[in-house]
Amino acid sequence: MQGRQYGIRNRFRRRFREWVNRRIPPARSVTLDQKRIFIFPSTTGLFFALCLLVMLITAINYQNNMSYALTFLFSTLFIVGILHTYANLSGLTIRALRATPVFPGQQSEFSLQVERGGRREHFALHLKWPKSTASIVNLVEQDQVQVHLHMAVGNRGWFSPGRLLLESTYPLGLLRCWTWIDLDLCAMVYPQPLASLELPGLATDQPDGAVVPIAGSDDFHGFRDYRHGDSMRQIHWKGMAHGQGVQTKQYNAYASRSAWLDWEMFPGMGTERRLSHLCYWALDFEGRNEEYGLRLPGVAIEPGTGERHRDRVLQALALYGIERRPQ
Amino acid sequence: MKPDQQVPRNALVWIILSLFTLVAPHAERIPVWVLAVYVFAAIWRIMVYQGRWSFPGRGVKACMIVSSFAGIYFSYGSLLGLEPTIALLLTAFALKLIELAQRKDGYVLLFLGYFICITEFRFSQDLPIVLYSLLNVMLVTTALVALHRPGEHQFNRKTIRLAAVMLLQAAPLMLVLFFLFPRIGPLWSVPIKSHTAKTGVSDFMKPGDISRLSKSDDVAFRVRFDGDIPNSADLYWRGLVLSNVEEGAWRSLRYFDIPAAERRPQPVETSGEPIKYRVIMEPTQQNWLYSLRYARSDSRGVMTGSDYALFSPGVVEDERQYAVQTWPDALLEKSLSVWRQDIELRLPESENPATLAFARDLRARAGSDIAFLDSVMDNFTEQPFAYSLNPPLLPQENPLDAFMFQTRTGFCEHYAAAFVVLMRAAGVPARVVAGYQGGEVNPVNGTVIVRQFDAHAWAEVWLEGQGWVRVDPTSAVSPDRIEWGLERALAAEGSFLRDSPLSLMHFRSIAWVNTLRLRYDALTYRWQSWVTGFDRDQQFELLNNVFNGISGRKFVLVLIGTWLLVLVPVAFSLLRRRESNRALPHDRYYLQFCERLAPLGFERKPGETAASFAGRVCRALPAMAAQVREITGLYTELAYAARPSPDDPTLLRLKRAVARFRPARVIRFDREPA
Repeated sequence: MQGRQYGIRNRFRRRFREWVNRRIPPARSVTLDQKRIFIFPSTTGLFFALCLLVMLITAINYQNNMSYALTFLFSTLFIVGILHTYANLSGLTIRALRATPVFPGQQSEFSLQVERGGRREHFALHLKWPKSTASIVNLVEQDQVQVHLHMAVGNRGWFSPGRLLLESTYPLGLLRCWTWIDLDLCAMVYPQPLASLELPGLATDQPDGAVVPIAGSDDFHGFRDYRHGDSMRQIHWKGMAHGQGVQTKQYNAYASRSAWLDWEMFPGMGTERRLSHLCYWALDFEGRNEEYGLRLPGVAIEPGTGERHRDRVLQALALYGIERRPQ
Repeated sequence: MKPDQQVPRNALVWIILSLFTLVAPHAERIPVWVLAVYVFAAIWRIMVYQGRWSFPGRGVKACMIVSSFAGIYFSYGSLLGLEPTIALLLTAFALKLIELAQRKDGYVLLFLGYFICITEFRFSQDLPIVLYSLLNVMLVTTALVALHRPGEHQFNRKTIRLAAVMLLQAAPLMLVLFFLFPRIGPLWSVPIKSHTAKTGVSDFMKPGDISRLSKSDDVAFRVRFDGDIPNSADLYWRGLVLSNVEEGAWRSLRYFDIPAAERRPQPVETSGEPIKYRVIMEPTQQNWLYSLRYARSDSRGVMTGSDYALFSPGVVEDERQYAVQTWPDALLEKSLSVWRQDIELRLPESENPATLAFARDLRARAGSDIAFLDSVMDNFTEQPFAYSLNPPLLPQENPLDAFMFQTRTGFCEHYAAAFVVLMRAAGVPARVVAGYQGGEVNPVNGTVIVRQFDAHAWAEVWLEGQGWVRVDPTSAVSPDRIEWGLERALAAEGSFLRDSPLSLMHFRSIAWVNTLRLRYDALTYRWQSWVTGFDRDQQFELLNNVFNGISGRKFVLVLIGTWLLVLVPVAFSLLRRRESNRALPHDRYYLQFCERLAPLGFERKPGETAASFAGRVCRALPAMAAQVREITGLYTELAYAARPSPDDPTLLRLKRAVARFRPARVIRFDREPA
């Protein structure tokens, strides 16, 4: 019996989700209109209704016309409040901006933009995914505002945060107006790095032993003028304080070898495990500033190093075997 | 605490503001220490806000609650009754402020505030109080709105605007509900006012009682006659019949003084057209209602006593409205029952011997009751009796003897009492009647305004064949009082409303003040008869007149129809605003320009500047380049200028340029030869 009830509940939930999906299909940006906005008295509103009942009974028992009038005024304020609460959400556009790629178990930052359609002031817009941090924004002076929500992600691949809840009880708190928006916004989740004792059958190119300046290495080499994109950490702050202009410290490393991280290095292992090991070694090489390339079935990334290279490699690992974004 | 649960500073300011405006009208009827609690609570909360003090602990809170209960108990001597309840409510309201930490505390506080607005009407529903309450409602609503504006850390005066707008939109809906909502009787009995003074004539009359009443210019009741207003000298508003005399004071017969068989009035034969009128009484906290004799009323909750006076089973706690029909010439009580005769003749035999002897002597000489009555009245006229609001004090022993033969100065209650004693001493059934006499006719709306200083006492004498007959001994002493009212009667003495020099009654000679006063009184009457006095009968009449009968279906239709009439425009105005989309004229022209390029496959990408878009278009359509550059140039100029005026020359040039810009036509023309 319990199980059957559970089944019915689940089925009902699934039906509801399907209905909401049809009504509010996922999109990169969503403008709120009557099709998408739901409104119902809040808990406070129900409490207020109870207060109204007490007031009405007072008016009846004391046969006091002004008490009747005020009770009715409060009741109709409730009614008018429906329109005002509704208008607080109506006309807003929610735009998906980006989600930071992360490793499993880490918090991804999802960035949204909330824009208003007119000059009307919007207050206390409460944004939240089911498992994310919440944020409250007002649109008073500016026409749009960016919102950053954080949420722990799941396994490798695309992580979809689900439906975004946007709600507000402004202006009276008696009514709750909300919408579930399916934003086409996913966070990329890299494989979980998994150490392996050594890199079996490392395919190296010729180690050339040339000294190359590589950012992020250990041995101090010298200074050069700051170039756009240099890491803040390497700015020669002391020198700058002495008025020598902005200079960047340079470190040297010996580019000992450039390696190919290959799918075939880990024979007999499952896909995820292979990807995890590859991920570990990619990060390891990157940390040591050694060049590395990646070979997966159908993917080959030439050896290289640096943040962009690392992101390419990690993306390839994250999306290996995953067709497209989940809807 | 979640950030959306915090109380913004703006809300805190509004809450404290509304707290004090809410308690203000109650100030006169609550103990002073409750007001002190308000100041204390506000200071504490502000200190908490500034981080100097902390919120009270559980022990402190319990302590405050217990001590406020104790305080109320000691101030009122009880926790029951309306006034102690309201004082408790007000104290709780102040204490709640101290622990206002989260939004949900704010809800409790503000909903309590709404309720306090309503309690005020238990004491007065006058227009100024109602307007003041509306202000309170607005402040509380503003605080509620401010509570939902997170991050407002500055006091914001403009917050009130939204509250005012919402209340204005709600008001018409409220009016519809007010007039349509069925009025039903009380569901159960509720605490009544236990600490509010009774006003008006009381059922216990000592010498000096009526004269004390006559020092006030408060309104006792207002009357509107259906036809002509009778002569002022005939307006004897009967309230109470005082038949019992004990220890120099007159009092009415209480319910248990009267044997069961005598409790119903004897039937009265009426003939001719009655005088019809409606009375709206101010609250008195007493039972009797005022009317001209002989009165009948069909209004709800109006009853007739065995002495033909109207009364209400419950005390008149609020303004009370009732309709009356009067037959002034009807004969009351053709024959007196033995019990009645006994009651109306009873007299303490040992008191005032000189007066009793004088009466019996006069009766013996007169020959008939009517002749005796005349000679008693003549005696008041002939002897140097004087009418005064401040008569000399009478001795405890035989006060009437002193009055009749020594001081000979008194107010109406002295004359009425003396007259009845003289009658009873001579064996003529007589009694004192207390009520009001006269009234001011308001020319603005034709109502008669009866005030406390119109309070009066006179006598009724039972004569064979005539029943109860009204005799007013005061008219023998001071005919001006009856003809012109108290002010004229006391002109020589100068004692009229001496204690209230600011009373508007003193400024009746200043035309505009008087007009204003009477207009305001007419407004009050209209307010009382149509708004605060609106009852089931009036509702029935209104619905019958306006909607030609009532039915459940019509009721719902009218309700929905009128509400839609208000709500649809409101919804429209709220949601339309987003259509206007703040497009400035030059933006609009530029968008028009973009639209005309769209069919040719040129769409401005998000983030593409006007200049780079123009560059792209020019490269692809060299034929249009000059026009595209012109339009883009003009638009860029306007976009970076301050908000251009509608007749700005650059704007007009842009408008013309866009109007001329027809790429689709030109391109087709270009392509055709090829």
